Amino acid sequence: MHASAKSTSPDNPFAKRKSHLEFYELLTKSILRGATYLILFVTASIFIHIFIKGAPVIFQSKAPFINTKFLTELPETLHILQDKQGKIYETDPKGSDIIKKELGSNLRQEKTMSYSGGGILGPIVGTVLLVVGCMIVALFLGISSAIYLSEYAKPGRFIEMVRLAILNLSGVPSVVFGLFGLGMFVLTAPVITSVPHERSLLVIPLGFSNLSFQGWDTSVLSGAFTLAFVILPVIITASEECLRAVPQGFRETSLALGATRWQTIWRSVLPFAMPGILTSSILGIARAAGETAPIMFTAALAFKDKLPWQGQSGFNGVFTESVQALPYHIYTLAARIPKNEYSERAQYGSVFVFLVLVMSLAMASVLLRKKLRAKYQW
Amino acid sequence: MNDNPNGISEDMQALLKKPGLLGVRVDRQSLIKHFFNGCAGITIITLFLIMWSLLRESTGFLPTYRWELSVYRQAGLEYADFIEKPLSEHLALHSKLNRAFNAELNTISRESKLRRDAAFLIKQQIEEKTVLQREPLQEALDAGNTPPEKITALRKTLTEATAAALGSEPLPKLFNESEKKSLTADLLGLQPDVTDMPPFIKSLMDKFIEQDKAGKEKYAAFISALDAFEEASEPITELHDGMKEQVLEVKKAATQQHMAEDAKFKLLEAARAAKTAEKREGFEKDAAQTDINPIDYKTNIDSLITKLPEYESLIPAYKDAVSKAMEGIPQKADTHEARELIDQVRKSFPKHLAHVDESVDHMKAWQWDKPIPLFRALTAFLFGGDWITNSSWQDFYGVIPLFTGSLLIAITALLIALPFSVAAAIYTNQFASPREQEIIKPFIEFIQAIPSVVLGFIGISVLGDLIKETSNIPWLQWIPGFPVQERLNMFNAGLLLALMAIPTMFSLAEDALQNVPRAFSEASEALGATKLQTVFRVIFPASISGVFAAMLLGLGRIIGETMVVLLVAGNRIAIPDFSDGIGAVFQPAHTLTGIIAQELGEVSRGSAHWQALFMVGILLFFISLLINFLSRKVVKRFQLPKI
Repeated sequence: MHASAKSTSPDNPFAKRKSHLEFYELLTKSILRGATYLILFVTASIFIHIFIKGAPVIFQSKAPFINTKFLTELPETLHILQDKQGKIYETDPKGSDIIKKELGSNLRQEKTMSYSGGGILGPIVGTVLLVVGCMIVALFLGISSAIYLSEYAKPGRFIEMVRLAILNLSGVPSVVFGLFGLGMFVLTAPVITSVPHERSLLVIPLGFSNLSFQGWDTSVLSGAFTLAFVILPVIITASEECLRAVPQGFRETSLALGATRWQTIWRSVLPFAMPGILTSSILGIARAAGETAPIMFTAALAFKDKLPWQGQSGFNGVFTESVQALPYHIYTLAARIPKNEYSERAQYGSVFVFLVLVMSLAMASVLLRKKLRAKYQW
Repeated sequence: MNDNPNGISEDMQALLKKPGLLGVRVDRQSLIKHFFNGCAGITIITLFLIMWSLLRESTGFLPTYRWELSVYRQAGLEYADFIEKPLSEHLALHSKLNRAFNAELNTISRESKLRRDAAFLIKQQIEEKTVLQREPLQEALDAGNTPPEKITALRKTLTEATAAALGSEPLPKLFNESEKKSLTADLLGLQPDVTDMPPFIKSLMDKFIEQDKAGKEKYAAFISALDAFEEASEPITELHDGMKEQVLEVKKAATQQHMAEDAKFKLLEAARAAKTAEKREGFEKDAAQTDINPIDYKTNIDSLITKLPEYESLIPAYKDAVSKAMEGIPQKADTHEARELIDQVRKSFPKHLAHVDESVDHMKAWQWDKPIPLFRALTAFLFGGDWITNSSWQDFYGVIPLFTGSLLIAITALLIALPFSVAAAIYTNQFASPREQEIIKPFIEFIQAIPSVVLGFIGISVLGDLIKETSNIPWLQWIPGFPVQERLNMFNAGLLLALMAIPTMFSLAEDALQNVPRAFSEASEALGATKLQTVFRVIFPASISGVFAAMLLGLGRIIGETMVVLLVAGNRIAIPDFSDGIGAVFQPAHTLTGIIAQELGEVSRGSAHWQALFMVGILLFFISLLINFLSRKVVKRFQLPKI
């Protein structure tokens, strides 16, 4: 840049003396730089704080170096017992009974902390299910809409409206999407059932059964669909951009060779746009994984002692059961239980795992994009 | 085409035939096209479905709320509330005077109080630390038959443990060396069977009691004025309480009648839909049995209105008593805090008296049977100053407290985020080396991926205490609102939301700077402008539309954010008190998004409360549409000419 060129010039006896203008320039530049680096510093210190407090919960100095208990057990109430010699036992409800029996009259006091014991397997499983479901729905709908918008649509009223709708949807607060998911998927979406619920909006007899608009209740399915609609605008916009980036010549060549429109799209547009679409979608999915408000009323529970497939409905529970989710678990831990050394471990442990999950998604997308930019250049 | 007029051979015909599926001739290309068309249509449909599902759950809010408001009026709750207003003002004035009095009293007894409390605190800490030694001794003493040498041994271990605890616990600096010694002696002598306070601590307590007494003697006039002020309202409060009881009875009856009506209506519906005559008869019989007693509002109101003369007769006495009490309040207070508080009370006192008179006029003008239009229910929602739910008196759904909370947080966040993000954008785009750019840009974009609940957690666990500690630093006391009372407040939420909005605003502003044509800066530099002049006089003004749009979209993001404000804003439903100016941002508040997230899980479907929450959702939806619309307008309005 010009400024740097000026400053690197060698000592010149005829050079202009440093004027106050240059001093101001330096000052302004330092202020701007300071502001920029302050943002980076604050962010970095948040990450470091969570790492310092959270990493000891996950990692340990003995083999296998990872606290597997924290990652593979369901959350439960933590019991803290103290005997009269001042020895402290931390245990789960079952262990508490055994220790109490052992100690007998030697027990001095017992404290319980909800949600702080055990691990976070339930929330992890719930989040993974929700994110996978959301990814399938959002990618399918998002990429299809983008293909329509960039390949098929002719400019006109309808397209204007679609674009406006997408633009407006992207600004709607996620809690409103939560309300929408509650009204739409939890309370009115269609199910096939022989015994319609009384709140059902409309029952269509199908002969063997009924199609009842009674909703999916709070379940993985409702939550995944709600999340998918939250990130749909992002995915559509990103995918459309990637499709447009494929040079027009590719399409023209293919069409000139006699390929149909669909063959052109399938063979000579999508393969080049797909990597870009996927990388930008990952960022959207990272956002979906971090959202709490949309799943609060549609999928998440504060506490559940079973994994989704261990309920009554067997494997179907993966779709129909409500689950614990990491962000909601963190909210519960942060808002509903008092802060002390015992709860802090569960809090920072969950936050650390959650942040690592979301950040690795985001990081993957950033790195992939960098690589792809270098690879696909026309 | 299928007829064969041109004599094309059969083979040729087979070739010409369009590809079909299961004998149905489908044009595959157009099928595919329609499929994608449908997918795009879904996004439009979603927008409408969002509107529809919000509207479906919230329809009925206005009629329900109107009904609740009309019961509020007809049962006379509104009438009783006319008296409530001056009474609550009186309470507020009294509590301010009380605070002023305490500030005055503190000047005399503060020191001894602090010393006493510090001694108590250290005693408690020591006792906690030695509890493991204390309890066996207590047990041994309680048992009664323990051999004395064992008790002596236990006592010895306790004393040793106390000494050890004292070693690790520094004594407060309030005490000088000799006092510290006697305090240590006191603490070492702590035994479970000695119930009397140890001598030094006892002397501290006595000292406080003495000084407190002295202070109260000094301000005896103030105390009597305070008491007179408080007592003045007693007859009116009594009258008001009687009225409240009476109208609540009526309201209860009205609610029951409404429920009975509902039940009857449902039974009749069911009777109409019943398939067999038997069932229908059953339903109809049940419906006939649900008796609905019409409520006699009139007699109740008549007896209520007879209380007005009584109220009127109480007023002069009240005004006299209060004015006299005000005269007794000292003209010159000794402390700054007390002076300010008393000034505030003096200022609002004439207004309070006027309000007392006005309340009579309101009550005279009040008509119990004036109908409430539907429109009034809407304005009561949009401009109502109270959001009160699950109340034993009356539920109100007014969004103003929530809206001001949201707005104040958003403004705080925007004021913090805007300078930082614009500065970062200018620096990155204009001054940074390519290498720096490569670090800064992804890093700031990365902030976007931090889940909001994590930031909220940081706010609760770290930032809250940090703000509170900072606000206690003596040389920062000039900042309005310091020292901060609550660690969860609007400023805390604003800071975190600013961090959340920075990536959005940064990348949009940076794009806007990037889009300024090169010719602009080249022309400017060719005219001899320095880099700084070029940036601030040419490039930045040219990109101002993008910066505006960035600001608006950042605002949209801030207003719509839920988890941070739910966790961090403090969740107190009240319009912030602006009496200490800009320091109001250090008060807790509730927000539009937070209220939905917090309360929706706990209300039953279809109740007025549920519907009200969906109405809040609609309001948020429209706010976001408005912000989007404005940002597009701004971009169009300030668009650069194409070069």
